[in-house]
Amino acid sequence: MRAGQVLRPKRPRSFQITLTLSTVAVLVFLVGSSLRPWSPKRGLGLAFGVLAALLFVVEMLYPARRPRARPFRSAMGWLQFHVHAGAFALVAALVHTGFRLPSGRLGWWLLALSSWTVATGLLGVWLQKWIPASLAEGLRVEAIYERIPSLVDELRAEADRLMQGAGDVLERFYRSEVRAPLAAVNRSWAFLLDVRGGRERALEPFRRVAQFVDAGERQRVLDLMSIYTEKMELDAHYSLQGILRGWLVLHVPAAGLLMGLLAVHVFSWFWY
Amino acid sequence: MASATQRAELLERHARRLRLMVPAEAADLRELPLFSGIPEKARDKVVEKVRRYVHKVELTAGETILREGDYSDSAFYVVAGSVEVVLASQAGRPDTLARVRGGAHVPPSPARPGAKADNLIGRGASLLGVAGDLAGERKQLGAGEIFGEMSALSRYPVSATVRAEGVVSLLQIRLPGLRLLTATSKEFKKFLDSRYRERSLALHLGSVELFSKLEASVIERLKQRAELVSFEPGQIVEQEGEQASAFYLVRGGFVKVSVAAGSSDLAVTYLRKGDYAGESALLVDQAWPFTLQALDHAELVKIGKAEFRELTARYPGLEDELWREAVARLKARAVALENPTQSEYVQMAMETGLIHGDSVLLIDLSTCTRCDDCVRGCADAHAGVPRFVREGQKYRNWLIPTACYQCTDPVCMMECPTGAITRAIGTLEVTINEKTCIGCGNCAERCPWGNIVMIETQERRSDGKLVELATKCDLCLTRPQGPACVQMCPHGSSVRISFKDLDRVTQLLR
Repeated sequence: MRAGQVLRPKRPRSFQITLTLSTVAVLVFLVGSSLRPWSPKRGLGLAFGVLAALLFVVEMLYPARRPRARPFRSAMGWLQFHVHAGAFALVAALVHTGFRLPSGRLGWWLLALSSWTVATGLLGVWLQKWIPASLAEGLRVEAIYERIPSLVDELRAEADRLMQGAGDVLERFYRSEVRAPLAAVNRSWAFLLDVRGGRERALEPFRRVAQFVDAGERQRVLDLMSIYTEKMELDAHYSLQGILRGWLVLHVPAAGLLMGLLAVHVFSWFWY
Repeated sequence: MASATQRAELLERHARRLRLMVPAEAADLRELPLFSGIPEKARDKVVEKVRRYVHKVELTAGETILREGDYSDSAFYVVAGSVEVVLASQAGRPDTLARVRGGAHVPPSPARPGAKADNLIGRGASLLGVAGDLAGERKQLGAGEIFGEMSALSRYPVSATVRAEGVVSLLQIRLPGLRLLTATSKEFKKFLDSRYRERSLALHLGSVELFSKLEASVIERLKQRAELVSFEPGQIVEQEGEQASAFYLVRGGFVKVSVAAGSSDLAVTYLRKGDYAGESALLVDQAWPFTLQALDHAELVKIGKAEFRELTARYPGLEDELWREAVARLKARAVALENPTQSEYVQMAMETGLIHGDSVLLIDLSTCTRCDDCVRGCADAHAGVPRFVREGQKYRNWLIPTACYQCTDPVCMMECPTGAITRAIGTLEVTINEKTCIGCGNCAERCPWGNIVMIETQERRSDGKLVELATKCDLCLTRPQGPACVQMCPHGSSVRISFKDLDRVTQLLR
């Protein structure tokens, strides 16, 4: 998948709306701040703060899309809203501050967390476009994440069966170089850049061994190679599907913390 | 949930029915008039072959043999006694033609408030039963009569309920037996054809959208003059380049439509129940622009050139419609020749059996994040138990999960002992009623794609074992938003399609 495809919005219309709203928000700030000093505590500054806070709260409702995706027509509508409203919420928060750096510790935390949450959200968008395309284009095998360890066990058992009665050379090669990597799922970040990465290098020893065995054994080597290739594909699936699940660790706790601090911020504004 | 007693009673009734079925003896069969059309020399061999598919059944008064709306793969020959045939009044049937949906997001069912006519695609392939001239009547069939053969051969729902009038002795002939008999005995074939012509052909012709505006008298004449033809799998119906002399209407099975391109053969589309072919050649009096080949046991109605011309002369509207169809077909032919990839999709669908499906779930793996929200959505819609697995065949970047295809000919519905698996006439969704399912597993065994799964429940049988019930995708029938697997996919990767909708297939799969 090319970078251009990854950057292309899934629903260009939603992207255009977000971009327009963000531009309007910045223009409002520019005009407003030129007329009178901009303050987050009153007037338009406060309005943008309220808007950003409300949007962040609505963003937290994303898990409520199930079971019927209401009020949107589909879960896809929900996700699109989640992504674009989240991005706009950050713009609204920045307009609220008047594009000035915070003065207090709470302000810094709020700015850092909202930026982090939006950035990790956008990272998630990128991963969710990049990884599925890589998996679909680069691999033949398709597997359900939770089943991959058991599928790997099955492959190893199949390889063991295949090697029963194999000649000395092949048997030694299998025991020393193949069985251990076949035994468990190997995760690697490298698959993120190249889903078939390292495959040729890993298969090279098989090709060499095939030259030293007789014609009868050669088919066995080819079958073993096919099992090994499948195992590498499962490794890639496990690594990348793991990343697709794991990135939420970067996004969700920060979003939760942001909600907490936002509540403190709103409460302190009312109180003081 | 049905009470354990109810289910036990249904189970016992099924077991009793199975006990009543006894393999037929060759000596008994040989003497039956059913086999009289087979030449003396070949008769023993045919009887021996057919015997595997024939069982003797003895029933008592009031017992139901066939239920209206069910699918059946058997014909019943009355050996002794009589049966009562009860046909529902036509008033109880839907007044519009049932249509086959491609997208299947919004079915033409009152259960879905959002149903719109423009969501329906494909020609009016009627799923109506073949009630024939007997609608609203009760009829008695005695010894020597046969019933259920049309439903079994054409795979239409049974059009009447049949009950035993007293003690009745029947021969249940399964579909392979029926096919053997029709192939070996010309007289038997003639007998079946005459009955089909007499009872059902008029209704069948009238239910085809193309002929829906024809007057009864015209249909009647067509009924007398049309020829009924059967083709074995792989048999050529018409060869491209040969002079066209007939118009064909499909009454059962699937027919491949292809064009020759060099030494290879490009699939353009396929025909199924209610579809027709021949207009492209007959309207311009040219040779066949396509080859028609039976994909399975195909039953066709052949209308001669002269009758066809009479019809088009009498009904200009019909001719216009045929022209439109002819242009569309010739366009599809040109597209197939220009872009052989499109043909590959149809070919793949034929080879994998996807053509049988009216609503096949596909997942685009290049956008699917494997979040399983489709499965969760399905589980949410079905009391926590999903009706499909996100595993299955892979074609290019598409996954074809093990979810019910909602087949045009749902073989799973044949021989359900309690009628628990049903498809309401005029609708698409094949559903299982968990209250009357006894967990016999017939449907799961019959589904060629393994899309019906037996799931353990908390209910226990009298022997202490847990009751297993059949479950399958029902397209979320009661869900106004349509199938949850499609609606709840956050990336729009899940789609439901019919391979008959070639434009959409090409748009998606390219």
